[in-house]
Amino acid sequence: MAEQTRSGIALKPYYTREDVTCPEIPETPGAYPYTRGRLRPPQAAPGWIHRDLSGEGDARRSNEQIKYLIGLGQMGVDVIGDSPTQSMIDPDHPLVRHSVGTQGVSLCHKQDYLDLLQDIPLERTPVSSSVPAVFALTGLLAVVEDRGFDLNKVRGSVLQAPLYAEDCGYSSGMPFPLLNRLAADTIEFAVKKLPRFHAYIEDTYFFSESGLNGVEEMALGFVEIRHLTRELMRRGVPVDSFAPRIAILVNCGMDFFEEIAKIRATRRYFARMMKEEFKARDPRSWSTVITSHTSGLTLTAQQSANNIVRGSIQGMALALAGAQAIEISAFDEAYRTPSEEAHQVALRTQQVLQLEAGISKVDDPLGGSYYVEALTDEIEQRIVSMVAEIEARGDAVALAQDGFFRKLFADASQRHYRLVSSGERPVVGANCHRIPADQDTLLRDITEKKIEPWRGRIDEVAGYRKTRDRDAVGRSLRGLLQAARDKTVNVVPEVYGALLAGATAGEMAGAMRLAYDHPYDPWGELRPDF
Amino acid sequence: MQTAPIPRVVVGLFGIDQHEVGAIAVTSLLRDAGMEVIYLGRYNTPVKFARVASDEDAEVIGISCHSWEYLHFVPELMHRIASDALDVAVVLGGSVITPADAKSMRAAGVAAVFGPDATKDQMVDEIRGLAQAVRERRR
Repeated sequence: MAEQTRSGIALKPYYTREDVTCPEIPETPGAYPYTRGRLRPPQAAPGWIHRDLSGEGDARRSNEQIKYLIGLGQMGVDVIGDSPTQSMIDPDHPLVRHSVGTQGVSLCHKQDYLDLLQDIPLERTPVSSSVPAVFALTGLLAVVEDRGFDLNKVRGSVLQAPLYAEDCGYSSGMPFPLLNRLAADTIEFAVKKLPRFHAYIEDTYFFSESGLNGVEEMALGFVEIRHLTRELMRRGVPVDSFAPRIAILVNCGMDFFEEIAKIRATRRYFARMMKEEFKARDPRSWSTVITSHTSGLTLTAQQSANNIVRGSIQGMALALAGAQAIEISAFDEAYRTPSEEAHQVALRTQQVLQLEAGISKVDDPLGGSYYVEALTDEIEQRIVSMVAEIEARGDAVALAQDGFFRKLFADASQRHYRLVSSGERPVVGANCHRIPADQDTLLRDITEKKIEPWRGRIDEVAGYRKTRDRDAVGRSLRGLLQAARDKTVNVVPEVYGALLAGATAGEMAGAMRLAYDHPYDPWGELRPDF
Repeated sequence: MQTAPIPRVVVGLFGIDQHEVGAIAVTSLLRDAGMEVIYLGRYNTPVKFARVASDEDAEVIGISCHSWEYLHFVPELMHRIASDALDVAVVLGGSVITPADAKSMRAAGVAAVFGPDATKDQMVDEIRGLAQAVRERRR
């Protein structure tokens, strides 16, 4: 049987110029359609932004962690909330008492954001965040205004995943129309107020971790980009005002060449789509930024040290593909939120790739390879067909509501499970080349270390509620409810006002759910208090 | 010929552990093996697991663990099962369960822990065996 890629593309034993659509490869990096990469800013150092995901405990603890990572040479901040924060649930909610601060940082009120970024130099540190965008953005705004920092200089990003978050691990109990509106509202707001901020990172990482292949990952990503682009244009936001601020956070699994080709195809399709279909005129609208995170799904609990090797290979694929920012999953990720030791190895991997292997000295070093070019062409075509196929089924929000995407994710995870458990997809240490569990001890001590729930935080937030001006909080939440009911209003200013008045993320999310006739607390424990 | 009774298994996740992939996969393999699965999905408390197991007359509660919440919820569940005088076997699965934790969970009364190495057949056989043992005890 012929070899094939993870996406099922049949491979030949070798490739020649006959396999490439455009054999002369006239394209240069930094020129339309950007297959070979974005234009490198003339003054920028070669290479990419080295980052590592951070956040644990409360904001003060995470602030120390961020400073530690910056001390190690990290060039930006990337914060993930704990599970309650990601789900817009406050830490004193009864359902979350054992998960506060263990998988990320607990953030729910204004002071948290001030503490999180205390002493972090905003002028040279982009602040990226996986926290729900409307709260990440307004929280950052609170810090910026508190310091009197120039809004025009704020850099960083937030993720948007309104069609898929609910089905893939970041459920917030919000209806799809509200999630999609919040995405468009935050992007529109940022375009007008924070011109250097990337308010739209299309996050294809987290949902592809369900087991999607590279073509499916990017097709769903483009369905979402196209949906939000149309919505913003419908609102009268010019495409050239927001398209340059779109970046895509992609996954990177173990199929080395397919991952490289996927990123090249993604840049090209994005460029063609923005230019030809959405009629963007500014060349910056055509070239999307690719950021990336290596796949946690490819890591194994067995023989954890092998994960360091996987991270190096994936990091190398991303560097060769010209990713602008790279995060390598930590080797202990199968077991736990990354330890400090694993964080350090992940960052060192990137530094070795760049400083010792010198991979980023030349742009797109694989450009012109018959194989890589042919694979890029094929993947782009497959992405385009899958997007067309999905869009022919109707409105994306309606598809999400009908569970169409949920089924795709469930099928993908079944497929992944079947391929790995049958041994059809070899995973070293897990389904082949195994060792007995009692001999699998290398780095095991690190995986056994735990982060205890940050229980003090529960009382801290309960205490915070008592110190607030109750009337002001109530007024701001009623204002938010009102604004959210009016579908023509942008809710971001109301969310920001409520945050400043002392409202928590859980309360604000509840108010917005009510505006869409959904329960204030989908988990059935709390009632609105305003 | 008398057919063997169908094992009844409650499957779900604790708290706000949202990594549902494993639970869905296990549910389908148990169903393929002819078992009845009452699938609770995400957002469950010990009280809910115990209540549903009782209402549904299930022999086994299977919990998929992909966050550390289980370390705290499982002892609460075992306590609840004891105080309600339920006869039900609790099994856990998930890659976050380290060897040391698996040991402490068994010591707390968990009947089986399926780590990343567990095969489909192991899980099916063990759960079927546990269900049968519970049924015999109840008889």
